[in-house]
Amino acid sequence: MNGHLVAPEPTGADKWEVQLRKGCLELAILAALWSGKLYGLEVLRRLESDSDLVVSEGTVYPLLSRLKALGLVGSEWVESDAGHPRKYYTLTPTGRKRALEMAAIWARFSSSMSRLLTPLVPHATPTREEADNL
Amino acid sequence: MTDDAQATIEAYLNRVRGRLRGLSAEDKREILEELHSHIVDKAASSAGQTTLAVEAALASLGSPEDLAREYVTDELLSRAEVSRSPWHLLDSLFRWASMSLAGFVVLLGSITGYFLGAVFILVAALKPFHPETAGLWFSQDVTGDRTFSLRMGFGTVPAGMREVLGWWIVPIGLLVGLGLVIGTTQVALWCAQQYRSPRTMRHRR
Repeated sequence: MNGHLVAPEPTGADKWEVQLRKGCLELAILAALWSGKLYGLEVLRRLESDSDLVVSEGTVYPLLSRLKALGLVGSEWVESDAGHPRKYYTLTPTGRKRALEMAAIWARFSSSMSRLLTPLVPHATPTREEADNL
Repeated sequence: MTDDAQATIEAYLNRVRGRLRGLSAEDKREILEELHSHIVDKAASSAGQTTLAVEAALASLGSPEDLAREYVTDELLSRAEVSRSPWHLLDSLFRWASMSLAGFVVLLGSITGYFLGAVFILVAALKPFHPETAGLWFSQDVTGDRTFSLRMGFGTVPAGMREVLGWWIVPIGLLVGLGLVIGTTQVALWCAQQYRSPRTMRHRR
């Protein structure tokens, strides 16, 4: 993760990472919308700033449409100062419920994986500074 | 915004529009309006509303063809999650097929799978009405060529054929037929998912 590959050839691990990130994207979007309505570009920025999930823009908009078709998010057009309307998304009650369920599954899964991976990733345990900040 | 920049956006959106065939007019309008507002916002946030900034915004959205395809396959997946009906799936597959070879291959495979499944189910259903002629028949000609044929029981059976399963065709035909229909749906959805996956994320290094 720290710049060791400049132009990564798709290796087995790279492909796996892409799949893994892809699998998380739906939950990531629902989580980004948890605290209020956002328009598409704000969702993208939230994902980039809060999660290091670098997302292809051409994926997020179709996915938002899909989440809407599934009834997990709703949308409304709001006029903006920029002179054009923006499409804001909000979680529906079904979407909130789905996000909670997915988050619970994620928390269980990631804590058991971390336990299992401790011997492989010595730095995965908090460093002294991180521990001090807790 | 300059006229040039406007024109660049319009050209891009027109290419997306051309590839969104089959979606409802309302869906198309929403998609295009949302993309338009994204592009303008994105360009404004970087270098202002110049052609250069617009081009950068368009580049990070990806090609209009890829973008439209993603909308169509995403629609396919969401429909399938709401309804597993083969009609809905085929309808979306037709659209996908009209824009990519992969979609075309999946469509052909799905039609074959559904057709075979339907034949098995029909034969099973018609057996009670044509007890003497419907079912799975087998023949071997003088050269040793073996032929199996599924007959719905209309008309007469050619000489030299014998029935293989008898009344077992009813449970077996229903089971195999349903299996084919369900299997075809699963495989088609799996293909759509695979197709979607590679460009979902890019790496930050």
